[in-house]
Amino acid sequence: MTMFRDAVLDPAKRAHYRLAWISTVDHKRIGVLYMLTGLFFLVVGGIEALVIRLQLAVPNNHLVAPDRFNQLFTLHGTTMIFLVAMPLLFGFVNYVLPLQIGARDMAFPRLNAFGYWCQPFGGILLHFSILAGGAPAVGWFSYAPLSETPYSSSPGVDYWAIALFVLGLGTISFAVNTIATVISLRGPGMTMRRLPLFTWMNFVNSFLILIALPVLNAGLAMILIDRRLNGHFFLPFRGGSAVLWQHIFWAFGHPEVYIVVLPAFGMISEMIPVFSRKPIFGYEFVAASTVAIVVLSSLVWGHHMFTVGMGRALDLFFIITSMLIAIPTGVKVLNWSATLVGGRIRFGVPMLFCIAFLIQFTLAGLTGVSHASAALDWQTKNSYYLVAHFHFVFVGAIVFAMLGALPYWFPKMSGRMMSESLGRWTFWLWVIGFNMTFIIQHVLGLNGMPRRIFTYPDIPGWGWMNMVSTIGVFFMGAGSLVLIWNIARSYFYGKVAGDNPWDAWTLEWATSSPPPHENFLAVPPIHSRRPLWDIANPDRPDPVVGDDQVLLPDHNKAGILAFLFSEVGFFGTLILAYLYFYAHPQAGPGPKGLDVQRTLVFSVCLFASSFTFWRSEVALHNQRRGSMLGWLSLTIALGAVFLGGQANEYWKLFQSGVDLSTNLFSTTFFTLTGFHGVHVLIGLITLLIFLWLAWEGDSVSAKFDAAFKCVGYYWHFVDVVWVFVLFTVYILPLLR
Amino acid sequence: MTTYQFFTTAWTWNSIVLSLVILSCVAYWLAFGRRGRSLYFAGGIVVFLLALVSPLSALANGYVFSAHMVQHILLVLIVPALLLLSLPRSLTLGSRFTYLTHPVIGWAAGVGAMWLWHAPALCNAAATSGTVSAIQTTSLLLMGSLFWWQVLAPREEQRLSPLAGIVYLFTACTACSVLGIILTFAPVSICPVYQHPVDRLGMLSTIRNGWGLTSDRDQQIGGLLMWVPMCAIYAAAILAQMARWHSPQPERSSA
Repeated sequence: MTMFRDAVLDPAKRAHYRLAWISTVDHKRIGVLYMLTGLFFLVVGGIEALVIRLQLAVPNNHLVAPDRFNQLFTLHGTTMIFLVAMPLLFGFVNYVLPLQIGARDMAFPRLNAFGYWCQPFGGILLHFSILAGGAPAVGWFSYAPLSETPYSSSPGVDYWAIALFVLGLGTISFAVNTIATVISLRGPGMTMRRLPLFTWMNFVNSFLILIALPVLNAGLAMILIDRRLNGHFFLPFRGGSAVLWQHIFWAFGHPEVYIVVLPAFGMISEMIPVFSRKPIFGYEFVAASTVAIVVLSSLVWGHHMFTVGMGRALDLFFIITSMLIAIPTGVKVLNWSATLVGGRIRFGVPMLFCIAFLIQFTLAGLTGVSHASAALDWQTKNSYYLVAHFHFVFVGAIVFAMLGALPYWFPKMSGRMMSESLGRWTFWLWVIGFNMTFIIQHVLGLNGMPRRIFTYPDIPGWGWMNMVSTIGVFFMGAGSLVLIWNIARSYFYGKVAGDNPWDAWTLEWATSSPPPHENFLAVPPIHSRRPLWDIANPDRPDPVVGDDQVLLPDHNKAGILAFLFSEVGFFGTLILAYLYFYAHPQAGPGPKGLDVQRTLVFSVCLFASSFTFWRSEVALHNQRRGSMLGWLSLTIALGAVFLGGQANEYWKLFQSGVDLSTNLFSTTFFTLTGFHGVHVLIGLITLLIFLWLAWEGDSVSAKFDAAFKCVGYYWHFVDVVWVFVLFTVYILPLLR
Repeated sequence: MTTYQFFTTAWTWNSIVLSLVILSCVAYWLAFGRRGRSLYFAGGIVVFLLALVSPLSALANGYVFSAHMVQHILLVLIVPALLLLSLPRSLTLGSRFTYLTHPVIGWAAGVGAMWLWHAPALCNAAATSGTVSAIQTTSLLLMGSLFWWQVLAPREEQRLSPLAGIVYLFTACTACSVLGIILTFAPVSICPVYQHPVDRLGMLSTIRNGWGLTSDRDQQIGGLLMWVPMCAIYAAAILAQMARWHSPQPERSSA
């Protein structure tokens, strides 16, 4: 504390301190930065919400104009999901996860910093649109064709798409980092079966991120191509499909709900046992149901589209899967409740929020299951009933979990306790305000009030219900002010916490508060899921889980494979979009006009480059530098020949008047082959860097070996992608 | 033909299938006797008969694409899994077969069984020609067995480790889902035979009008079956891997 004041007073130290935060690669500082960014945007998104509710407080209100209202709810939704929920949750993960597994830092500290800086950058891009001619006014899902140029000519949607793309890159790098950290940096004795549930859930969740986010990124690329390069993906009057956008968006959008709720589940799974003085009930069920949620969550997106008219067959299957996914979620709720039973419950602020979470989330689940029924969904889809449902999930579950997790982990981060009495004020203001605002919205929705309307006529009952809903927002706002005051005050004057103020059992409580830069002076022995319990109670330790042997694969390999896994989703989406349109006959240029033989020749060059790269790796392994340089140069040459062939093909097409905007075929063709070409180009640049490094004689270190292997994985992957692209674009028409 | 008539008469008591079933029952009893886990074996035989003898088979033979898909799933995922489970725990394969039990082979067989037989030409041929259909059935059973061997092999040490098993199953699930998604959303018929079936049994008007199964919707249901229930089977197997991973007494010791 005194250190902080000295730093504030002394200009030299102050400059150093500021720079230290901006240039930091320490997971703890990055975690705090994530959280501060999230808190900042929580205020922004909260003010947006406040204006929305003020506009809706009374009938026939004209506080904001209709278009401004559309911009407000678009920004509010996008901000709250991408700039509040995700950074706040990732901040907790960043801070706590390495501590929980006894690691010094994340696997890739600089990638971690990159991932963080994508957040404020994306947030600024999104909000810059306000100055650049109007914020997006198309909803957070940006449905086509409304989001296309003919209907949204201001650059708002472009900013929206680019901002989300940047945020998506940050999120993917975060997930890659988390996976590599958990796989490769666990402390002695921390086997995968002994992971704390918070770590386990975020580990599993990272895979879900790698499945879902690339699908969104592919969709964003397509909509940007439509808007900036006159593509036709989602424009029905040019043969495109607006419904395809919905499929892509919700194939990302529904898993996204689980991406933000699973970390919250992890927090609850840590806090409830500690405040009930019992181990979690059925660790295995909580852990396994997380995996079930991840697998099922990518099978349910259609329930967002019942009203689109997908046909009864599709509706039926999505109804069933949507109801199925309630089972693993319900298993979790039962496990948390059973943990409470018979425990010595301490009603600290974190526990209060856990209990509120359990109740609110169960209600959210019930209205959720009701939406899984297509017949009911048709009636309530576009109403405030749905608004109430998803706010119960996002606020009642996710925000409440974070409001509980903050006082829980704040002592670890700052060394000081947060005020209990102020915390109770926050709790009651939020619970009362939240329920005032959103319970009544169920009724409003069932009474027929549609969502996304800027005002409404004076229908009996609607006026006062909306007023109640608006008043509730002020309670939540007051609760937030108390929270911010509590954070600031506790940071300076809070009670000193000590290492383990809650008598918790996971590793983050085994080090000082705040932890030293290297996290642990010594990691305590780990034989069970509650190492600190074992130390405190040597006479009755937890049963030993599995054997102590820890397998730690190389983190570079884990990282690159996780990244390539995400690339599969990106190219998979592009290829599926290509096939979707390929089946419809097109006027104008088509796949039959492509020169298959020429392309095959160039493809052979690319495939051969995989072989030459392998030879180069072998030479490096055998420490034959000349041979390694030769094979590597040949690899680069072959890759360049392939790219040259591609460029030549493009040139010929341009010469004959075919470009991206000609017809649907050319749009999909240039997008798919173009993105592959960009990947080849990036690979070539990387290979050139390695050639240069090896030329300079840097190739003898083990570090170089590991990095070279990673480039190899990337290069082979790009070649494998070409196998699929080649088949889809060039070979398939021959088989017809 | 009405629906009732159809379900009572359309049983194809194929003599080859029946003699094969009887032969394999005898062989199973002779080879394993009481050591075998015959309940699984009986389950496998029943599902096998369901797929090849019941009216489902009549529908799958050139009438209804989604019925073909059910048959496909039963033959590639359910029957081989039950048969592998029916083997006694002590069984070992000869070393000649080791290359067949590589995870890459298993994965490729499982995913290939789905993709290969839904290439339009092969799918058409299997739906119309008895010989091709027999080849298809055999290959599905074999490929399914290779696929499941990785997670259901009789001895613990022959199986993938649970976490590797999850990756194996999840990637296979994804690869099959992609095909399911393509079938579901394809605007053209993947297996044109089912678009205009040869009406051997006089069932077509009942199917199209009585059941409301137009050829478009039929293909859509077929794709959805490959996509959703198929993935549910993989998901169940993934949960079984989780259970195996967390089981307090690893089966390793008992094997």
